[in-house]
Amino acid sequence: MKKTDDRFDLPQGTLDLLIMRVVALGPIHGYAIAQRIQQMSRDALQVQQGSLYPALHRLEYKRFLASRWKPSETGREAKFYELTATGRAHLKAETESWSRLIDVVSLILKGTLEGI
Amino acid sequence: MSWVRRLFTRKQMEAELDKELRFHFESQVADKIRSGVPESEARRLTRIEFGGIEQIKEDCRERRGTMWIESILQDVRYALRQLGKTPVFTTTVLLTLVLGIGANSAIFTLVNAILQKNLPVADPGNLVRLGDANDCCVGTFIPDSGSVSYFSTDDYEQLKKNTPEFEELAAMQAGFGARPVTARRGGTDEMARSVMGEFVSGNYFRTFGLQPEAGRLFIDADDEPGAPMVAVMSYETWRHIYGGDPSVVGSTFLVNTKPVTIVGIAPRGFYGDRLFPNPPEFYLPVETMPVLANVTYVHNPDQQWLYIIGRLKPGVAILPLQDKLSSLLRQVFAARKKFTSTSDQLFLSKIHIAITPGEEGIQAMQEWFGSQLHLLMWVACLVLLIACANIANLLLVRGMGRRAEMSVRTALGAVRGRIVRQLLTESLLLAGLGGIAGLAVSYAGTRMLLMLALPGAKNVPIEAHPSLPVLAFAMGLSLLTGVLFGVAPAWIAAQARPADALRTGSRTSGAGASLLQRGLVVLQVGLSLVLLVGAALFLESLTKLEGTDLRLNSKNRYIVHINPQTGGYVQTQLEALYRTLEERFHAVPGVTKVGIASYTPMENDNNGWDVFVQGQPYLDVEASRIRMNAEYFESVGTHVVMGRGIGVRDTATAPTVAVVNEAFVKKLFKPGESPIGRHFGIRGPTSSGDWEIVGVAEDTAYTNARWKDHAMFFIPLMQREPSLKEPIDKDESLYAGAIVLETDRPMDEMEEVARRTLAGINPNLTVVKFQTFEDQIADRFSGERMISRLTLLFGGLALLLASIGLYGVTAYSVARRVPEIGIRMALGAERGGVVAMILRGALIQTVLGLAIGIPVALLSVKFLRSQLYEITTADSRVMISAIVTLVAAAFIAIIVPARRAASIDPVQALRME
Repeated sequence: MKKTDDRFDLPQGTLDLLIMRVVALGPIHGYAIAQRIQQMSRDALQVQQGSLYPALHRLEYKRFLASRWKPSETGREAKFYELTATGRAHLKAETESWSRLIDVVSLILKGTLEGI
Repeated sequence: MSWVRRLFTRKQMEAELDKELRFHFESQVADKIRSGVPESEARRLTRIEFGGIEQIKEDCRERRGTMWIESILQDVRYALRQLGKTPVFTTTVLLTLVLGIGANSAIFTLVNAILQKNLPVADPGNLVRLGDANDCCVGTFIPDSGSVSYFSTDDYEQLKKNTPEFEELAAMQAGFGARPVTARRGGTDEMARSVMGEFVSGNYFRTFGLQPEAGRLFIDADDEPGAPMVAVMSYETWRHIYGGDPSVVGSTFLVNTKPVTIVGIAPRGFYGDRLFPNPPEFYLPVETMPVLANVTYVHNPDQQWLYIIGRLKPGVAILPLQDKLSSLLRQVFAARKKFTSTSDQLFLSKIHIAITPGEEGIQAMQEWFGSQLHLLMWVACLVLLIACANIANLLLVRGMGRRAEMSVRTALGAVRGRIVRQLLTESLLLAGLGGIAGLAVSYAGTRMLLMLALPGAKNVPIEAHPSLPVLAFAMGLSLLTGVLFGVAPAWIAAQARPADALRTGSRTSGAGASLLQRGLVVLQVGLSLVLLVGAALFLESLTKLEGTDLRLNSKNRYIVHINPQTGGYVQTQLEALYRTLEERFHAVPGVTKVGIASYTPMENDNNGWDVFVQGQPYLDVEASRIRMNAEYFESVGTHVVMGRGIGVRDTATAPTVAVVNEAFVKKLFKPGESPIGRHFGIRGPTSSGDWEIVGVAEDTAYTNARWKDHAMFFIPLMQREPSLKEPIDKDESLYAGAIVLETDRPMDEMEEVARRTLAGINPNLTVVKFQTFEDQIADRFSGERMISRLTLLFGGLALLLASIGLYGVTAYSVARRVPEIGIRMALGAERGGVVAMILRGALIQTVLGLAIGIPVALLSVKFLRSQLYEITTADSRVMISAIVTLVAAAFIAIIVPARRAASIDPVQALRME
């Protein structure tokens, strides 16, 4: 079990963004997505199955992701997700707005600290 | 993938979802094993990390966006399975709903169609009628209240001239139904038909704001004296008899043998100014009536014969207008100097016109059927109430029975809302199915009611299919019942703490059925009794009425209604015509008697007069007059009990003689006084020498069976009162209305024979109506028969429903008490004792129901009295037969579950737990 202080709650919609970012790297199945997010966040984020799969299905329903069944590295068939053109555009837009948000938020947060 | 496709590939989706999650699970296990954890431990850990796999699946499904529809489908599928598992319950509820809803919407369709139907005209809301009664058809009658509802042509013109408050004020013939016209297309060999024709004012169609289907409608100039004779044809006739032939417009028709030009076709759907079983086929201007119909009253200022409907200008206040119209009419009446004595003056001051709503037209049919329809509505409502109680009971039983199931489902994690939704789906499904089936029944039911109510009607302008409000009403009612009584027990069941419910299990020694359930059964029994008593009363009334000795002989008799007046005969030709009719019909093989009369027994006609007997004071007795030929009495089976009947020698020039009936003698002469040789008259005291009584005939039923002791007098066909000043060519009473044929054997071809015989005399002499005498008599009972049949039907329905309810509740409590009964029997209770125990419980409910029902039934007789024949109270015979029927039905409903209780095997019952 992870220590609680290492983990944090993801803001609404962030998980979708992270999933799409990981899927953008190439076709990938659900288990690998969870692994990859954990790895990339240096174990700070651990995506629960209970959030991952509903999110994947939602993104697929919105047609940001497409899926295909093919054999995985272990030889078992797995459901591989990939980004659609709409998904790619959405990811780009969302990433930009996310960065802008980060910038704005940190600008304000910095300002506040200096004032103290 | 669209959600629709997802919906249809549900199975595949489910499999893939499962496979995907399983892959994740296995990968995670594999990773753990790789890091050195033993496999069983790896699986255990992964399972803990994973949490509820079904929950994840549910979330995924929800994210797919098809969740709602999937879950509804799932609910529906599950509900159907549940309902299928309990076919008896499902069938019972459905049947109850179908019958309850069906009966109700059939009645409401009819009520809607007859009592609340607006005329199909422009802006009906602005129409008003002058008058508040359906006084008909031609005469001088004004009720004691002084409210005038039908008017003379002169009255109409005066009122019209002086009331700028009306955009239009139209007049129409009050009694067109009693005076058909004979019509055929000119220049063809088409058979003349006797059809409805209505004489109307020139602004009639304008008042209703109608546009012609073809040609034109009337203009004021059509209704001028001396104008070319024109007519407007109804759309129905144009479409169905003349195939929508455009050349009908502009062509000549022979109406009552006179040429009339059809100027246009009335709009589709327009059925005239009132609901009527046979709507007018021709509309004719008032001013053409004296020529076409050979009547004198059109220009007689004292003879009232027109109804008036007007279109108000916007913003006109009713009450001041009503006052103005009334005073106008009083002025008109006063100017005619009809009112001289003080009592006349007093009456004149009471003369008034009531303005009534005109959007539904003349309320004739509404008045005929109103009370019967309202009665049927009440009956149907009672049946519905019983049906609802039944459904409530059945659903309650089911809901309670499923308490354990609900507890298990709650314990397994089902959300309360989801359970209620599931039960709601079940109830709605049931109610919806019942509602739809009920509508099908109501469709057929309305047709049946219409046929029962108006036998032989042509083109009734009443739609037999349920209208939108009725549809909504029926479905709404059905759903409401379902929701209310389906969800309430479900909610209670879901509310229960699962542990409690599970702990209680099936071991109970309580009474089983709840107070509410038993209360509902008591209510059902009570209401059923009321309906049964009602049915028994109407049946008795009908039996009495049909069993009345009409003192007529209808065997092998046929009634041919004719109208020599519309056939073009003038009064002076009539004597010869009657001779010819007698000769020609006697020449038909099989015909033994040929009666000719003004009208015949048991038909809807009456011609009443005040009688003045010579040498005695005026007694205010009204007697009805019939003109007849020599063979008429024998043809209808009337016996002469004193003196002689009318003979062949009583011609127009012979001394004036009359035969009176026994009621006439009883009402006008002292007991023991011989009427033979006495004289009487009908045109005031000075006329009392007009008729010499030469014979007395038995009382026979004219007009209807309830008129058993109505005074009648019979005079020769062509004799006229010596005191009468009116020239013969103004005397319409000389036209006979019917021929009665008696044959020596049943003759099915008689209608055709009559038609041919008449046409052989004159092609314009048509059969207005042909019926066997038996059918004519039976028709006069059709209203009573309809009410009796329907109340019997509804009474039976109520009984059936109450029995089902009683059975349901008893069966349920037996099922609940199986373990208890098992213990009782194990401890030595006799089977007979068990049966008695169950019977006692159910019979108490029946008796309580009777205790409520009997006083209510006795009370409701008061409201039915006006519709019953010679029945004033529910006598013991009626009450006992209703109670016995009910108790017998109840006993059957109870004995089945009671016997089942007695057949319980104690060992099995105890082992069941």
